[in-house]
Amino acid sequence: MRGSLLAADLRAFGAAAMKEWRLLRRYPTLFTGFLFWPIALPTAYVFQARGYAGDSQAALDAFASRAGTTEIAGFLFVGWAAYMWISMILWGPGTALRTEQVRGTLEALFMTPVSRLVILFGPIVSQVVWALWMFAIVGGALILFFGVAIPPPAALRALVVILVAVPALYGLGALFAAVVLRFGEVHALVQAVRGVFTVFCGMTFPIVILPEWARAVALTLPPTYLIGDLRKVLLAGSDLASLVPDLAILLSIGLLLCGLAIVAFRRTERYARRGGSLAQY
Amino acid sequence: MSTPAVEAVGLVKEFERGRRTFWQRLRREPDQRERFRAVDGIDLHVDRGEIFGVLGPNGAGKTTTMKMLATLLEPSAGTAKILGLDVVRQAREVRRRMGAVLSDGRSLYWKLTARENLEYFAALYHVPHAEARARIAAALDAVKLDDRSDDYVERFSTGMRQRLVLARALLPDPELLLLDEPTVGLDPQSARDLRDRVRDLQSQGRTVLLTTHYMEEADQLCDRIAIVDHGRIVALDTPAGLKRTIAATEVVRLEIASGNGEAALLSRLERAGSVAHHERDDGVLSVTVHCRSARDFVPAAFDAAHAEGATISHVEVVPVTLEDVFLSLTGRALRE
Repeated sequence: MRGSLLAADLRAFGAAAMKEWRLLRRYPTLFTGFLFWPIALPTAYVFQARGYAGDSQAALDAFASRAGTTEIAGFLFVGWAAYMWISMILWGPGTALRTEQVRGTLEALFMTPVSRLVILFGPIVSQVVWALWMFAIVGGALILFFGVAIPPPAALRALVVILVAVPALYGLGALFAAVVLRFGEVHALVQAVRGVFTVFCGMTFPIVILPEWARAVALTLPPTYLIGDLRKVLLAGSDLASLVPDLAILLSIGLLLCGLAIVAFRRTERYARRGGSLAQY
Repeated sequence: MSTPAVEAVGLVKEFERGRRTFWQRLRREPDQRERFRAVDGIDLHVDRGEIFGVLGPNGAGKTTTMKMLATLLEPSAGTAKILGLDVVRQAREVRRRMGAVLSDGRSLYWKLTARENLEYFAALYHVPHAEARARIAAALDAVKLDDRSDDYVERFSTGMRQRLVLARALLPDPELLLLDEPTVGLDPQSARDLRDRVRDLQSQGRTVLLTTHYMEEADQLCDRIAIVDHGRIVALDTPAGLKRTIAATEVVRLEIASGNGEAALLSRLERAGSVAHHERDDGVLSVTVHCRSARDFVPAAFDAAHAEGATISHVEVVPVTLEDVFLSLTGRALRE
């Protein structure tokens, strides 16, 4: 019984992703935005870095000693790509719920027997397509414009790092979804958390330049490990064995966040059922 | 003996009025919001295979009751069972075996086709993959949308969208359907069409529990009707049985241009029949009277008006309707 239920939920998961993909396809101009931003934003930072440091060898050496790579463009592009993917996931479940709420479909979804995880995460699976699209654009831009090549084995190792980070990021996203059910609005909170990640997680800079207390904060945040480890495998040629301690921490934080998210979502769903706020916005 | 399709005992739903600020919560101040009962102790027993109507004005608690039965709202007190399953403790199983139309066409994805909408919801209702295609075709056929299945929902009329919502509710092949105001906002033709579909559902052996504030709809469709007002059931019977509760066979509606003697005039009319309702609007007194014979009452009404110096400008004789039953039970019209 449990097995067939799980299989039915997995099928529903696929259907939710397919539904979202179909809706996205009805607005094809969205793809052009994703063609532009993954290149434009990091490129601006590359130019900024060149503007500040020029061709100074001392500056490049200083960067290499702190970042563990001499590839400034690669460093910034990987940081930005990871950050954009993180943003997608943070917004994902909360936005999915909010969109259903505003559209008027949320009650219809909650009247079906499907697991709430399907409603939360099914739609954002379709964003894997966006993520692949974005990473492909970033990889292409690095090769074409900056001559930075990403060897396929390194890309595979990066994929492992991304998969290990998934529970932590989806857990955070689900926590935001719980906020949507409780307060109906999550944008301000997501922006605040993104701000914290921008300052502490080393998206555009190596975190060793942070003061000690800020580094301590950074080491409690999952994106720090994701961004740092992606750079290590893609730019510094690190193997996965050397990243095991980092990945273990990332996975532990992920499991903790997922547990918290499940409890929080159950509580807020109950709150919504008691107060009748499921369809209110 | 089979379990009833719906069984509710002492169902209560309370909501808070007003708001409690963030600071009040933070300071853990006592919650001083006023609580009101949208549903105030409803008992329901719906047998399998019947069309059961909940009739009442807007704000009577119909939708809140339906949402509790559909597992969208948690009751404040009382219990409710759907097909023998508790709506709180066995919510997921309830959802699996029940179809519900609790909303209008907004609850569909307008940028998807009718079929795409149903494909998605078939998966959410755990319809086996091998059966999904046939189930969707049957649902579309049942609501007569099979020829528009590949059109975007945004191109549908309101009536078609409502029929598609009904098709969605049929996907789990439910034994019970909950329909909340299914024809509201539809033109007469679309409403008639949807009522035909509901009758078809009953002929297939399904149970239908519907709410409406259209008395004709309840009268035409339902085997039994519960009349609700202020969150309580005030009467429950077959349509004919409800009408029999009024000691009258005909209803006479009068419009009278009267002067100051309104009370005396009403008193005279009361002697000839039973004044169920009266209101004055723009100098015209509208009176609804229940009587055994309009043939006897109408001449008496003209005599009474003449005696009080008033003029009857309009007379309408109609059979007893559920509107009159509601009026006699609550003193208010359904539309008020």
